[in-house]
Formats: sequence, structure tokens, C-alpha cells
Amino acid sequence: MVNLTRVMLWRRPSVRPRTVDPFWKKRQIFKLSSHFYGRARNCWSIAIRRVQRALMYVAAGRKIRKQHMQDVWDQRIRSGCQELGYLPEGEKTMLEGLARSNVLLNRQTLGNLAVLEPRTFEALNKIARVRANEEKIARYLGPFPKGILGKL
Amino acid sequence: MSQLSLFVKSGFVKAPLANGIGRYVPQCQRMTLKFCLGWGNSRGVRDFIQHDLIEFVKQNPGTVMYLKPRRHRSPVLVAEYLNGGREWFSLNDMTREEVYKWVDLYRTKAGYPDMHFKNYQHSDIPSIQGYWTPFTNKPADRNMLEFPQNSLNTPLNLKPSTSEIISKLYGEPQEQRSSR
Amino acid sequence: MSASRRVQQWLTFTRQWWLFDAKWQDPFESAKVINKHLKGAHKPIFGGHADCGDHVVVINSQDIAMRGDEWYYRVYFHHTGYPGGATWTKAWELHKKDPTMIIWKACYRDLEKDLTRRGRMQRLHIFKDSNIPKDIIQNITDQIPQLRTVPKRLKDYSQEEIEKFPKLFDYPKEHVLD
Repeated sequence: MVNLTRVMLWRRPSVRPRTVDPFWKKRQIFKLSSHFYGRARNCWSIAIRRVQRALMYVAAGRKIRKQHMQDVWDQRIRSGCQELGYLPEGEKTMLEGLARSNVLLNRQTLGNLAVLEPRTFEALNKIARVRANEEKIARYLGPFPKGILGKL
Repeated sequence: MSQLSLFVKSGFVKAPLANGIGRYVPQCQRMTLKFCLGWGNSRGVRDFIQHDLIEFVKQNPGTVMYLKPRRHRSPVLVAEYLNGGREWFSLNDMTREEVYKWVDLYRTKAGYPDMHFKNYQHSDIPSIQGYWTPFTNKPADRNMLEFPQNSLNTPLNLKPSTSEIISKLYGEPQEQRSSR
Repeated sequence: MSASRRVQQWLTFTRQWWLFDAKWQDPFESAKVINKHLKGAHKPIFGGHADCGDHVVVINSQDIAMRGDEWYYRVYFHHTGYPGGATWTKAWELHKKDPTMIIWKACYRDLEKDLTRRGRMQRLHIFKDSNIPKDIIQNITDQIPQLRTVPKRLKDYSQEEIEKFPKLFDYPKEHVLD
């Protein structure tokens, strides 16, 4: 067995030779395919196709990840709202009510507050509830929160 | 997200270590407002200087403010910090309120450029009020109830039924209706 | 993980037991609400990365309601795998054989088709009437509200209530009541 690790990891000289050596170009691709299963790892014609496909998945995943995170935050806000019962319609009313009350918090912050600081979330929920009552934002509204006079 | 970016620098959290000399004081030592007296893109800066600057300086005696009029250049804020950092920021075409906001922001900065932290940011106690639990918002009477409970079967968002609407509208004693 | 943190973890991810009364409820609309609780989507900690689903106990599944003649045209398909092994069972027949089956299938169909499906269905307990075993009823912590009210028949109203209800019109004299 020939151990080629040292040779492969050898740092390339800063001044490149002018010749185009396909070995180095292929090595860029094989670095990306190093964790694949089977011949897609080491055979060029299979590896290049699989790497190109994998990069396409990565590019698509960038969009999907953002959408997924927004879905998770929306879900958390919605379940927090519905559990408290003031805003049965969920995150739509809450975000609108807070925006009209000049409380500028985004989905990520509210979703984190719902889990980590439930009392703060409840207070924000009441603010949105009162604002929704004043400006008729939602179709369905839960009971009016106790201890609030009804004006913002 | 990705740690590689063309525009945002990445690095590690640092603190100015000078045996604690620079602690508990405002980090921004000096701010220079460069602006033009004639051009319109310095209008907001000139308004800021005319109306807000004296008050701003009185409120923040730890920061020295320099004004540097220069002909036919766009307005610029340069802030210099205790750790040797220097921030350059363009105030081109901004209103007086925007200028105030940015100047105040640069006053409160620590002197390090905005960067993406390479090290993992982590808090041992992320929650002050205690994490959400299933019992956080649950009414306490649920412990004492016998299930199934008919009163808890009532649907949410229930609209009034037609019978209820009719009873409300015409719910008068029969005698009065017949006498009319 | 320290002892207090461990307890915090247990507390946040406690499994709740919910009760749902299926009397006069649409099984397919109910399945959505039941599945929300089976998945744990009613909790703010829900994120798809942790198993925070709850148990749901459904009672009175023999009294579910369907619209119109849906009992007759909704058909359940089964195939044994052998040639000629296909069977088609109407909803009313299936309900007669096993009154818990329709709501079970409705929930099973509405869940995500992945590895979590069977585990979530294990947390669904359906009973045809309101007789629940003692080891299950003692776990129940809360109740899911019904989707619509159980309709009342005329005989369920007292004579006083009937008389109190406003009379909207009088029958004409030539109208004959049986």
C-alpha cells in the first residue's frame, strides 16, 4: 500500500506552473465527494455528476431552510396564542396587532419569547389583543384579558 | 448560516485588556463630523449640528466631537475608540433624525467592526422567567376536575345559533306580542 | 446535565393526556385537531426536531356524525395481497364492525407518512363509549373542546323553554296539522 496522504496534502507552491494539470481540477471535485458512498467517491465520471447534483441540492436548501425557520417561528407563535386563548387566529393577528402598537419584534424573537420567556409573551399577547379589539383586526377574538382597562 | 461572506468580516469576541483601565467608561472617545456647507447631501448633518449637537454633547461629555467643514465632499462620520478602533460611516443624503440615530449608535459601539462571530454563542441560562412548560398557562382547576367534563366541551369561536338570535331579537313575552 | 436541568427538561417535555368527546363530531375534522395534539403542534416548543407529542383519549366514537348520506358512499378499501383479495367496505358497515375504526383511520390518514406515524398512533386511545379503563382515565389532565355543539332534540327541551321561545308566525286557518 502506498500512503499518498502526505503527497495529497502537500501545499501547492504559490507560483503555479503554466501547464493545466487536470489532476488538480479533479481533486477539487473529489474533495467534495469524499464522503459519498461507493464509486461516487473515487470514480471521476460518477463523482462529477453526483457532486453537481449535490451542489444543486445545497443551493435549493438555502431557500428551504429560511422558509422552514419562518414556519417554525409562526407555529410557535400560533400555538402560544391559541394556548393563551386571547387570539385564537394565531400569529397573523398577533403580528398585526403588535405592529400597529409600535412593538417592533420579528417572528424569530416572538417565537423565542414564547418558549423562553412565557410571561413576556403573555403580556405582548394582551397588547395585541387590546389593539385587535380597537381596530377590528381579527374575525374571532378570545376573552378580554383581565386587569386591563381596555385602552392602549 | 454560512460563515463565509464577501462583505461581513468574521472573527472572535475580544475585550480590551489593559489591566482594566478602560472599563466602565464610554468606549467612543472622539467623533469627527465631516460635511460640506453648501451641498445638499450634507443638509441633514447641518440640521443636526444646528439643532441637536449642543444638547448631544452636553449629554455625552465623555465623547469629544469635532466638526470639519470641507468643500464639495459628501458628509462622513468618523468615530475613534479606546481600543484603537476607527469606524468610518457615510451620512450621505440623510435626514436630521437619521443622522442623530447613527451618531448615537456609533457613540455606544465598542470599537470593533460588525462581524460574524466564529465561535459558538451560547448562554447557560437562556431563560429568565423559566422555560415554557405544559403547566405554565394551564388553569389550576384542571387538577381537581373529574373527566369527562361537559363544561369543557364547548367549542371555541362559537357563533350564536339561529335560535339564540331569534330569542334575542323577539324574546318578548307572548302576551305582549299577541296584544300588538 | 445537572439535576435541576434534567428536571427542567422533564417538566417541559411532560406528556399530557387529553380527552376528546367525539359525540356528534365530524371524524375527519376531529382528526386534524387530534393529530395536532398527537404531534405536539399545540405547544410553543414544537419544532419538528423533538418528540413532544401528547396522548389523546377519544370517547364516544360510536356517536360520530357524517354529513348527508356519506355513511353510504364513503368506501374503505382493503386488499389481502392475494388475487381477488380486494374488499370494499362502506362506512356504515365498517362502523358496525368496529365503531373505533373510522376515527382511527381518519387520524392515520391525516398524519405525516413518515417514521413518526406509528409512534404517534400508539398514543391515540379510542373508546366506543364513555367507559374508560381506570388506568387511562387517571392520567387525563385536560380536555379538547369539541368542534361543534351536540344538537338538542325537541324532546330534550323542557315545556317551559318551548313556551318561552318566540312564536314567529301563526299557521293559516286552512292549514291542517297531523
